Amino acid sequence: MIRWRFIFRQINSSRKQALIFILCVSLSLLTLVSLGGFSNSVRQSMLKDARQLHAADIMIHTHYPASNTLLEIVNRYKSEGLAEAVLVHEFYSMARNTGREKSLLSELKVVEKGYPFYGTVVLKSGLDFSKILQAGRIIVEQNVLDRLQADIGDRLQIGSTELTIVDVVVSEPDRPVSFFSFGPRIFIAADDLEKIDLIKKGSRIHYNYLLKIHNQDMVDTLADELSDVAIEVQERVNTFRTAESGVKRFFENFLFFLNLIGIFTLLLAGIGIQAALYTLLRESNYTIAIMKSLGAGSAYIFLHFTVMIMLLGTVGTVLGLFFSYLLQLYFPVLFTGILPAHVTLTIAWDVVFEGLVLGTVVVGLFSYLPMRRLRNVKPALIFRKEVEATRNDLPHYASITLTILFFIGLAVWQLEDVKTGIYFVLGLLGLVAFTAIVTQVLLMLMKKRSPRLLTLRQAFRGLFRPKNATRSIIITLSASLAVIFSIYIIEQNLQSTFIQSYPPELPNAYFLDIQPSQKQEFSNILGEEPQYYPIIRARLTSINDRRINRKEERQRRRDNLAREFNLTYRDFLLDDERITEGNNLFGDLDQNSLGNGELPVSVLDFVAEIGDIKIGDLLVFNVQGIPLQARVVSMRTRTASRVRPFFYFVFPEKTLKDAPQTIFSAVKIDRQRLTMMQNRLAEQLPNVSVIDIGKTIEVLARIIQKLSSIIQFFTLFSIIAGLLIIISSVFATKLARIREAVYFKILGAGQGFVLQVFTYENLIVALICALQAGIISHVGSWAVCRWIFDVPYKPLPVATGIMILSTILLVITVGLSASLSILRQKPIGYLRDEGQE
Amino acid sequence: MSTNELEAQKISKSYTIDDRQIKVLDDISLLVSKGEVVVIEGKSGSGKSTLLSLLSGLDRPDSGKVIVNDRDITHLSEDELAPYRNRTIGYVFQSFHLVPSLTALENIMFPAELNNDPEAMEKAEGLLNRVELIDRKNNFPHQLSGGEKQRVAICRALVNSPQIVFADEPTGNLDSANGEIILNLLLELRSELDTTLLLATHSREISNLADRIVLLADGRIESYTDKVPE
Ligand SMILES: Nc1ncnc2c1ncn2[C@@H]1O[C@H](COP(=O)(O)OP(=O)(O)O)[C@@H](O)[C@H]1O
Ligand SMILES: [Mg+2]
Repeated sequence: MIRWRFIFRQINSSRKQALIFILCVSLSLLTLVSLGGFSNSVRQSMLKDARQLHAADIMIHTHYPASNTLLEIVNRYKSEGLAEAVLVHEFYSMARNTGREKSLLSELKVVEKGYPFYGTVVLKSGLDFSKILQAGRIIVEQNVLDRLQADIGDRLQIGSTELTIVDVVVSEPDRPVSFFSFGPRIFIAADDLEKIDLIKKGSRIHYNYLLKIHNQDMVDTLADELSDVAIEVQERVNTFRTAESGVKRFFENFLFFLNLIGIFTLLLAGIGIQAALYTLLRESNYTIAIMKSLGAGSAYIFLHFTVMIMLLGTVGTVLGLFFSYLLQLYFPVLFTGILPAHVTLTIAWDVVFEGLVLGTVVVGLFSYLPMRRLRNVKPALIFRKEVEATRNDLPHYASITLTILFFIGLAVWQLEDVKTGIYFVLGLLGLVAFTAIVTQVLLMLMKKRSPRLLTLRQAFRGLFRPKNATRSIIITLSASLAVIFSIYIIEQNLQSTFIQSYPPELPNAYFLDIQPSQKQEFSNILGEEPQYYPIIRARLTSINDRRINRKEERQRRRDNLAREFNLTYRDFLLDDERITEGNNLFGDLDQNSLGNGELPVSVLDFVAEIGDIKIGDLLVFNVQGIPLQARVVSMRTRTASRVRPFFYFVFPEKTLKDAPQTIFSAVKIDRQRLTMMQNRLAEQLPNVSVIDIGKTIEVLARIIQKLSSIIQFFTLFSIIAGLLIIISSVFATKLARIREAVYFKILGAGQGFVLQVFTYENLIVALICALQAGIISHVGSWAVCRWIFDVPYKPLPVATGIMILSTILLVITVGLSASLSILRQKPIGYLRDEGQE
Repeated sequence: MSTNELEAQKISKSYTIDDRQIKVLDDISLLVSKGEVVVIEGKSGSGKSTLLSLLSGLDRPDSGKVIVNDRDITHLSEDELAPYRNRTIGYVFQSFHLVPSLTALENIMFPAELNNDPEAMEKAEGLLNRVELIDRKNNFPHQLSGGEKQRVAICRALVNSPQIVFADEPTGNLDSANGEIILNLLLELRSELDTTLLLATHSREISNLADRIVLLADGRIESYTDKVPE
């Protein structure tokens, strides 16, 4: 039978720990539910329906018009009634509002009737996309209107013609978010493609053939048939199931990162639950001993404390759900700009259920060890104060192993990647083990020390007072602070590399797709002769005998060898290049050393590292279907900033001069002239695209800022969990502190003395934690920046100082505020209480 | 069934402090029969509390046996001991050991409630009345004086009408006036309920109340003194 009164009395007498327990439970639920809710919303609304995400069943992607054999098959499908097909061209071009003398780089999408096969293009007017988009008309993103100061009904010059804006696009299925593109969207009807006359030789145009298959069972068979005839590497055939999506990858990476933080928070919340419960049960030890001496069996005690945990857990759960609900209201603010406007962020019931199950497991796992201690409370405890040291037996280790396995399982499940999941948890364990060793060594050194200053000496002793969990607190705090610091440092490093460090003397405008014949005219418009970089688009098909594996390459985080590369030709080094291997750019060109039909190539060390390319290797490229064999004769490295144009593969001028190519140029130009140039180019060389780097970086900065704020927001949860652990520990040692304070006072010490001792004590803990975390996080962040993101590492001394200082302040504040009542405590009141024991 | 309610056979107990073994009790044997009042006397630190905790099953001897009602309790598990502690014995401690989170009444009710006694409340209130503390029933231990706490503790020890009551220096933390009240109360209640009483003390004054006095010194029983009929 359950004595509720006893349970409530027990909760009441340890209400602070009970509260921390409740808060930790609600925090873990909040983390699970809010992150789960966010991921689910994203998956549901954007990633769930892969067919919508690609607007078709089968997609053929190429940078050139499809080969005849391929087209024949597509046409046969159409005539046999197996499929419908549309062709979509996508490319960048300038759009110009002639009336306002304004022009803008836009992302054009030229679509045939029938697009999209799945999902809908939502228009502001609410009208039907396919009816609105007719020859002579365009549909644009709101941004186009704003930046070109245009209105519906106005005409924009695109390429060699003018088209009328008829509507505004709100969302399109196969581009759920737009922040990856350099310019806003303009939809053009396929009938106008010839009139705009922008399809030039060598310019970067995406040809997407979209197929809708009437019989879903045939999707894979037909796709296989298409793949068989497609030109290898150049023409990619995918079904909606096999296709990669940049958006999907981005969000999955982002969710992946958030999930890491979430799991970490859950771990901290679990530790908080455990700490609070340990203390709560320890505070109950005396009561338990008395009850056992009065004949209460351990089943009885166990039952009551289990019911108590369930009760507290339930309250925590309800509170956590309530917080999650509140948070959900804040979601739209947090995620605007990242998610398309139409995505609704709601927390679904299955997420809540999932959260409840996981939350219960976490509470169970972390409550088990403290609860096991109940067994060890012997009635004889009332005769003596110490608890018998508990032997760590098999179930003890089994429970720890189970907890680790649970977190590995959770990580694997949430990150959807076995290896990363295991590495992540093992990494955390390694971190904890490392801090444990360092802490142990530091504490051992301190235990031997006896400082001259009395208050400091007392503080040292205080760290080692019985039952004081100094060691576990320092380990937990150091490890969690290290993670939190690292997240911040890495984030700041990424941000500063990509945005803030853009050097003012570098080119701020890039010009793409200049035709070789337009060089002279371009120089005239610019008023000077810029550096021209010829670009030949090609794919790498193999290194020596090793074929490039697309799938594997897409996994790489830095760059991948499967993408389309820009080859160039020139016979000189750029200002910021240096030869690292080989005699000069093309060696001492001894034709005999090259095989038949082989061209010499100079490779940048960065890509050589990725592909493990060495001098003398044979690279095979595919240039518009034609294989090109290149022998590596030199290696280059770059000496300066990464924002200047650079090329992985450089060929001698005479070898590629006549290959199909476009010209790229980068110039430093002031804003006003840039606007003028954009207009003149749009008029005279409409096929030339201008990228305003300054603007682009601004947009990028805004997005990164936004992502940072979301990450910081979820990191906040783990900071709160860390704080709860500190508070729990401070309350846990309160009684011991009171006793010390009282004895100090009885012996004639003033409040100042007591305050000083406590401050020193907290300061020591804070210092050890902050310094350990600081050092570990810097080493860790350096490694992550260096090896994973490949960005230069900045140590951020000011931010580090602030982090360390605020940690110290925080620990001291929390520690002291809980001790303030102790300072005021009159010795007599305490002694009276104590007399009872 | 013999008249021997409680028997100790050669029990020993040592404590280890910093690798040093201290033998607190050495081969103690003792027989207590039903209804007896046995006073265990000895200087502070002579092992009285240790002996009582072993006899009452709160702790376990290193060797030897404790037999209660013909049953060896030495090797019983904690859970097998629980009902024995609850119903067969009552314990009064020198420093009261009331559950700090429970009120006076709840403290007394607790053993009866454990025993699923439907009259737990009535019995507890009756006892509180008997010790004149009924108006304090809702006070928490820290709101009671030492004498009051000990009276509550005595009620708690007696609420299940145990066969044996162990009292470990029940007056040790009290002034002499309060001590006398407690002692008289204990003896009165004992005779009303016909309970066996084992009482540890370091003062000689109580000794004349005993049927038998056991003198402890250096971990051994120095002498038995049967009460001289006056
Ligand atoms: N838990 C313990 N650990 C070590 N020594 C103990 C412990 N409990 C009691 N002792 C020692 O055992 C001896 C007897 O103690 P105790 O039985 O409390 O004596 P008494 O009740 O007669 O004053 C004392 O010397 C005491 O220091
Ligand atoms: Mg004693």
